[in-house]
Amino acid sequence: MENHTLKTDYAGKRGALFKLAIKTSLLTVLTLGIYRFWMKTRLRRFYWSAIRPGGIPLEYTGTGVEKLMGFLIAVVFLSFYIGIVNLLLVFVSFSLINSNLAAYALSFVGLIPIYFYAQYRARRYVLARTRWRTMRFGIEAAAWPYAWRAMLHWLATILTLGLLLPRQIFWLEKFRIDRTWFGDQKFTQEGRWTQLLPIAIHMYIGIGLTIAATAGLWISPASASLFLLSVPWLFFGFVHFQIQSFRFLARQKRLGANIRFVAEPRTWRVIRIYIFGGLLIWLSVLAVLVGLGLIVGLVVSRVGPEVFSSQNLQGMFADGTASKPLVVAASIIAYFAFFIFSGVLVQIFITMPKLAHYARTLRVLNTAELALIRQRPRDEMSSAEGFAEALDIGAAI
Amino acid sequence: MTDTPQTRIFADYMDGESARLIRVSLRVEGKAATGALWLELPDGKTPVRWALGELRRVPDQAEANSIMLRRAGDDPARLKVSDHDMATYLASICPNISRRDKTPSLWRRLTILTSAAVASVALIVFVLVPVLADQLALILPTKGEQALGDATYQQIRQALGKDANTAAWECNNPAGIAALNKMMTRLQVGSNLPYNIRLHVLDHKMVNAFALPGGHIVLFRGLLKDAKNPEEVAGVIGHEMGHVESRDPTRLALRSAGSIGVLGLMFGDFAGGAAVLFLTEQLISAQYSQGAEARADVYSQNLLAATALPSAPMGDFFLRLKSKYGDTTGLASHMASHPDLKGRADKARAADTVGDTFVPVLNAREWRDLQAVCK
Repeated sequence: MENHTLKTDYAGKRGALFKLAIKTSLLTVLTLGIYRFWMKTRLRRFYWSAIRPGGIPLEYTGTGVEKLMGFLIAVVFLSFYIGIVNLLLVFVSFSLINSNLAAYALSFVGLIPIYFYAQYRARRYVLARTRWRTMRFGIEAAAWPYAWRAMLHWLATILTLGLLLPRQIFWLEKFRIDRTWFGDQKFTQEGRWTQLLPIAIHMYIGIGLTIAATAGLWISPASASLFLLSVPWLFFGFVHFQIQSFRFLARQKRLGANIRFVAEPRTWRVIRIYIFGGLLIWLSVLAVLVGLGLIVGLVVSRVGPEVFSSQNLQGMFADGTASKPLVVAASIIAYFAFFIFSGVLVQIFITMPKLAHYARTLRVLNTAELALIRQRPRDEMSSAEGFAEALDIGAAI
Repeated sequence: MTDTPQTRIFADYMDGESARLIRVSLRVEGKAATGALWLELPDGKTPVRWALGELRRVPDQAEANSIMLRRAGDDPARLKVSDHDMATYLASICPNISRRDKTPSLWRRLTILTSAAVASVALIVFVLVPVLADQLALILPTKGEQALGDATYQQIRQALGKDANTAAWECNNPAGIAALNKMMTRLQVGSNLPYNIRLHVLDHKMVNAFALPGGHIVLFRGLLKDAKNPEEVAGVIGHEMGHVESRDPTRLALRSAGSIGVLGLMFGDFAGGAAVLFLTEQLISAQYSQGAEARADVYSQNLLAATALPSAPMGDFFLRLKSKYGDTTGLASHMASHPDLKGRADKARAADTVGDTFVPVLNAREWRDLQAVCK
């Protein structure tokens, strides 16, 4: 018989991730970006396999080809939308109000539903390609119903200056979770949105103080100093709410009849990961720059500074020793190298520690029923997460 | 015969049909392609046989000590071998452990899809958007056309400026502007445009002129400098008025509005700067069709004839530009999108009904003022 509680461990090592991230990033540059679909796939395989509830890793079974094809499909649809619809909008806007402002605004508004649609589709693809104990996850096809609900919730949240964010978070999570499956068993999101209100208290204080500070500006410019208090509070309150609502909502999830979950990520731990991770990233970038500076300095001192004098450099351009395209190519490579290097650092100093913390604080309860769960059919989803890819949603992993 | 280490090695088997985790003991029989890995199930059930040749390692796994095995193909079953020695041993005796599954039709499908994607995007950018833009350009109300022209003119001035914050200088020396207005008054008599032409001279050394929607015509300082007499300039203005009359720039601006977003999508530069630069480039180099150029030429010749001016100087100007700058820059490239520049110059001469005796469009002093309009 199985344990009744499964703890989750995290098996990823920085060194292994670093190697994988560097290798795949370089391939991405060398293939002018085409390898990025494979890069994301391989990084996901790594991260998924590091998360091991009860010692058995998650498995990501998506493929790079699938992602590339999804991207191509999305590009066709979106070019139609963006090309034809934007043209019509510009035309109508100039015809009716003699300005293109309306066109820009409408074009942006038109992309909002596609954004949420893409988000849901991406989730569906990722879940369909995630397995644990060989059982597939899955979520029902409901991207458009999700998109318009998400828009209405966002509208309500924005109109109430963030007061209704807990309601939005709860109902959208419930919409997704109530359609999510593991094998032949369905998840259920229980609880009520008002139960999230106590968690939101710091966020509300932050919002209140920020509004007070803004209103105070009409009376006296000195009230601007209140921002020094309100903005960090708002920031903390928002992060706290995000993490603790995740925690609360996890406890209110149920799989099948009575498999339950406990997630206990800690707010300060996550904030610390961001602060120290950010610091480490800057230090690493600095170290690399200093290292490069030393190398350049060494080269200059060896061959003598006169080689790099401006006349000599101009001479090199003039007689073709250093051709302009060569210099341009070198700058482009340096530019990309910087982004790749910092991207890799974000993976190992922020994404991974954060994921590790979330994984290690996750437990599955009442697992006796796991043995009864049967497989679900494969969700083909040939357009994969192409829309999210084309619109650059969820760029990290 | 068995090569398995003497102690019994256990592993976690998941059959792909249920979420059960089955503790199995492993037995290796034979080696390489002919061998097999036997998974001995508990409770005396029939053991599972996995041929060594079809064993595959699930790649990119975070944990280095264990190995996750699967069978080639779509079988979702997995075997997690956590015993490090056994994992190493299996990896060494399975001949195809790192091989990836081949999906035979994959590259074909990918090729087809890529071609389809490229073809559809090309269809949208090069056919659908232009056709639609051409239709819309004809029905865009005059006011809207002027607004479109105003917006694009500001964009272009901005783009031609020395840096991102300065727009290109609009030359406004009063004497020069007066000369320009005099020329315009004479030309406008022969035209039938629904709006007044708004002529601008920009302080830029490029030898170029182009038209924008709604009757904007832009001359560059470089063009005034290179022209030998005011009639050459009048010919160029007439040509641009021809483009305005047939709404060529409006078509072009609408086409760009459609294709800019698509380009942004392709290059991940959403509504970004590169797209605007592209629009500017398009409008300045103004590569119209041969037919559109020929129509603008004819329009110009008729206009000049109607205002008792010769059209031969315009032809001379084209030829001089071509020999001086080649076909690829500025006005030459704009004019030369019709490859037969010589033929066009000949036509301009042939259409000349005025000859050498005419009232000049500007007198010598006014011509000097016009050339100095940027000072």
